[in-house]
Amino acid sequence: MTDESHPPAARDRGTLLKPKLSPTEKGARFFFLVCAISALGQMLLIMVFLFTEAGRLFVSLDGEKGVSLGEFFLSQDWYPTYPSPSYGALALVAGSLSVTLLSILLAGPLGVGLAIYLSSMAGRRSREWLKPAIELLASIPSVVLGFVGMVAIAPFLQNALGLPSGLNILNASLFLAVMATPTVASLGEDALSAVPQSVQDASYALGATHWETIWKVILPASLSGLSTAVILGLGRALGETIVVLMVAGGAAQIPLSLFDSARPLTSTLAAEMGETAIGSAHYHALFALGAVLFVLTLAFNLLAHYLGKYWRRKA
Amino acid sequence: MVAEPQTIIEARNVDFYYGDFHALKNVSINIAAQEVTAMIGPSGCGKSTFLKLLNRMNDFTPGARLAGEIFISGASIYGPDADPVDIRRRVGMVFQRPNPFAKSIYDNICYGPRLVGIRKPQDLDVLVEKALRAAALWDEVKDILSKSAMELSGGQQQRVCVARALALEPEILLMDEPTSALDPIATAKVEEWIKNANLTIVIVTHNMQQAARISDRTAFFFMGELVEFGPTMELFTRPQETQTENYITGRFG
Ligand SMILES: Nc1ncnc2c1ncn2[C@@H]1O[C@H](COP(=O)(O)OP(=O)(O)OP(=O)(O)O)[C@@H](O)[C@H]1O
Ligand SMILES: [Mg+2]
Repeated sequence: MTDESHPPAARDRGTLLKPKLSPTEKGARFFFLVCAISALGQMLLIMVFLFTEAGRLFVSLDGEKGVSLGEFFLSQDWYPTYPSPSYGALALVAGSLSVTLLSILLAGPLGVGLAIYLSSMAGRRSREWLKPAIELLASIPSVVLGFVGMVAIAPFLQNALGLPSGLNILNASLFLAVMATPTVASLGEDALSAVPQSVQDASYALGATHWETIWKVILPASLSGLSTAVILGLGRALGETIVVLMVAGGAAQIPLSLFDSARPLTSTLAAEMGETAIGSAHYHALFALGAVLFVLTLAFNLLAHYLGKYWRRKA
Repeated sequence: MVAEPQTIIEARNVDFYYGDFHALKNVSINIAAQEVTAMIGPSGCGKSTFLKLLNRMNDFTPGARLAGEIFISGASIYGPDADPVDIRRRVGMVFQRPNPFAKSIYDNICYGPRLVGIRKPQDLDVLVEKALRAAALWDEVKDILSKSAMELSGGQQQRVCVARALALEPEILLMDEPTSALDPIATAKVEEWIKNANLTIVIVTHNMQQAARISDRTAFFFMGELVEFGPTMELFTRPQETQTENYITGRFG
């Protein structure tokens, strides 16, 4: 009960209570604070470097007119080494997005399926070999996968489908999917395993079958984690460089079919950075591509974050 | 004494093992229909294990082995023709900790009925009201049925779990220490409900006053054995076995 003679505002609000830390604890706290700040600092420095180098493309260089933002984002002509060069990033962005989205169409369902199998269907025996196998898949160097794509899958696609070349977005997406699947599967398994046994028991005790329990209790409760898993897999595919450099074909065009060649952002950077003069417009254009890649990755991570939150709130 | 009540659950020479661990030893018991049967005994004596045998929840435990037979309404529930899913619909269970689904109160209650194919909103509405009334929760939640069950108090959550089990109209309700996570007021509400419920209830409890208050018969387990089973009043006032007497008088390690 509030005392009428003391209006609440006049009350002594007391002193803030804090845990008391010993000198060692304070020292440890300081050390970890430094770690956190230095990680943040590295991140900031990279961003500043990336965006200032990228920004120079759009201001005038060596008396030449800078590239307009409109040209960079809307033109699909990427001819950086022509006598009158053009720096349109659209085809490269389209190349990156097409192989990434295509690969997640494969890796998403496959990874989530594997996660469901591992977390609630596999017996101890099959888990024992399946989990290491998935980890092994994740640890294959991407250059090895790219090599397989070049010497095995590309000729196969070429012959089986009568294509001019087997180096195309289908081939690249297949291998990106191979690389993203372990990410989706292991993050997805964590999400599914986090569903408490007690609510699964509740479902069984109400006469649900194993499948009904997975479908109606386990999946809804882990949608947040599963969507995060899929999007982080997407990020994994978006950032991959070597595989797409080797098997996507490399033509700077907007791919219109599964069998078109593409030149994703990452492979453009890797292929061209070594051959350009530092400080040239081409050099700055490559930084601008890097900045686009950075923003796309950030966007996927934010999407993962918000989707995760959204499903958690709905659940 | 009036006519012997009808037996609904019969366990005959039940032995149960978790791997090599012998958790239940030659347990035989007849549980009467429409009564409240309490199971008491020290921690680890096998009460929960026995309870979970009655709706086949031990099927999920790796390495679980059973010998002997259990009959419900005359049919063997571990026989070759027994269907565990059907058994769990007929034998409901309320767990020690409230475990509502992260869904609305309404959807929690409808979970079981929907599984058996009841989908019409009018039918579900009727079932939900009936189950919540039976669990003495209707008046508290009738205006917030679409609210998440996770946002209720512990006692309300536990009664949602009771209502959820009742929505399937089970013949038997198993309750494993249903009030151990609840405060005295919520406990009183659940106990009140148990006393007035019109079905067969088997309840595990650590609280001997509770067993005395609400049950018709009490079974005392000790180290996997059923030591004594009889009318609650007799067991608490004139125990036949020294182990029972030691336990109920608190003279016990
Ligand atoms: N899944 C399991 N695997 C192996 N042993 C188990 C398992 N569950 C229970 N046990 C053992 O079986 C014995 C009986 O356990 P149970 O849970 O039935 O005891 P309880 O009488 O319900 O005890 P409490 O009153 O503490 O709940 C205990 O010794 C326990 O350690
Ligand atoms: Mg127990």
